[in-house]
Amino acid sequence: MASGAHLIDSTNKYKQAKIYVSPQLDATTLQHEYARADVQFHNVDHSEASYQALVFLNNEKATAETPTDDANGYAGSFHVFGHGGCYGDEGHCEVPASRRPYDPRPSHPLRKALKIVIATDAIRRATEKGKTFTITVVPLVTAATSQCDIDDVFHCEYIRVVAYR
Amino acid sequence: MANTIIRKDATQLSDAEVAALRDAYGKMMGIRDNRGWLYWSGIHGYPQYKCWHHGREGFHQEVPYNLFLPWHRAYLLSFEHTVRDQNPDASLPWWDWTTQTGLPDVYVEDVADGNPLQAGPVPAMGNAPERMTERAPGPPSRLPRASRIAQILSLPNFEDLTLQIENVHDGVHGWVGGDMGVVASSAYDPIFFAHHAMIDRIWYLWQLRQGVTNIPPDYLDRTLEPFGLRVRDVLDVNNLGYTYATAAVTVGVGS
Repeated sequence: MASGAHLIDSTNKYKQAKIYVSPQLDATTLQHEYARADVQFHNVDHSEASYQALVFLNNEKATAETPTDDANGYAGSFHVFGHGGCYGDEGHCEVPASRRPYDPRPSHPLRKALKIVIATDAIRRATEKGKTFTITVVPLVTAATSQCDIDDVFHCEYIRVVAYR
Repeated sequence: MANTIIRKDATQLSDAEVAALRDAYGKMMGIRDNRGWLYWSGIHGYPQYKCWHHGREGFHQEVPYNLFLPWHRAYLLSFEHTVRDQNPDASLPWWDWTTQTGLPDVYVEDVADGNPLQAGPVPAMGNAPERMTERAPGPPSRLPRASRIAQILSLPNFEDLTLQIENVHDGVHGWVGGDMGVVASSAYDPIFFAHHAMIDRIWYLWQLRQGVTNIPPDYLDRTLEPFGLRVRDVLDVNNLGYTYATAAVTVGVGS
């Protein structure tokens, strides 16, 4: 059922999945003093494979081979601990669109997740010059089952960059 | 206190402590009822899926809240007592992955009559029959660094802590790979409990710095199912009868 040996090659590199590159974001909004800045990934799917997502700023050509350093716009990473697919009966992993009033149960375990990469210096570097910047997400698949799509793993509703004083 | 359980670094266990843990886990793996390995591991992932990860809404609570840390503390506490039912000298060790040396030897080494810390039974899932867990660990250099944990310990806000430590936790699950790498089967691998003892220890260390009761007030009466505990019940490990240490020796004084 669970598998993993095929996800890492003889040089200890994990399988790279489909890369996401954002449209241009407004950099001028972030050209002021702040103490902390985060890249937030809202409503991230975690129903299938587990993966590490490398996050680069202003580097639309980043891949798994790109050095994770300042020069390449590396901002940090987040990890997803995937459920590994559905082993229940039909409907088990369908998240209800809404909750009934007075339902005492917590919402469905596959409710989408929030991931935050604290990346103050990287965001400052990416936005201090120029009017726009981009976000690139390079997913590296670390664990999966035969039920998982391991080629396209990163799915989220929206990304937000937030600065705090 | 004399009855306080000391959870130790998995690399610092005495031969007797390793033997007690293996004895208890081995016995649990042979029990098919609610004292056994399949039952307790099945609370976390398949088939019960009681584990708490990420923010979720709850009773009269439309804003998501995240019980990742308190739920797993309650889970380990109940599990540890179940382990000690089988061998009262056993306690849960913690795996300090920040040493970046990989899995602890006692969890991987071959033993003449079998090593219950190497793998645990997994029930039939989908079309797959009952079997033992497997691992596919990555290079040790990809495990979290101590400097990352030091950053997390400096975060003053509980929800910020939760998000960041859960992220580290997710990465270690993926690093072990195989069954540990996915929620459905992770708790069937014996290393799961050493990994989560490390996560719980980090929360404990954070509480020493940032306050034992440093948690949003609306969390306090949230229930931790199915353990019969609320969040407020698990905040202070001193009230739960265990502590974390790198080593300990005890001498009896008869007078």
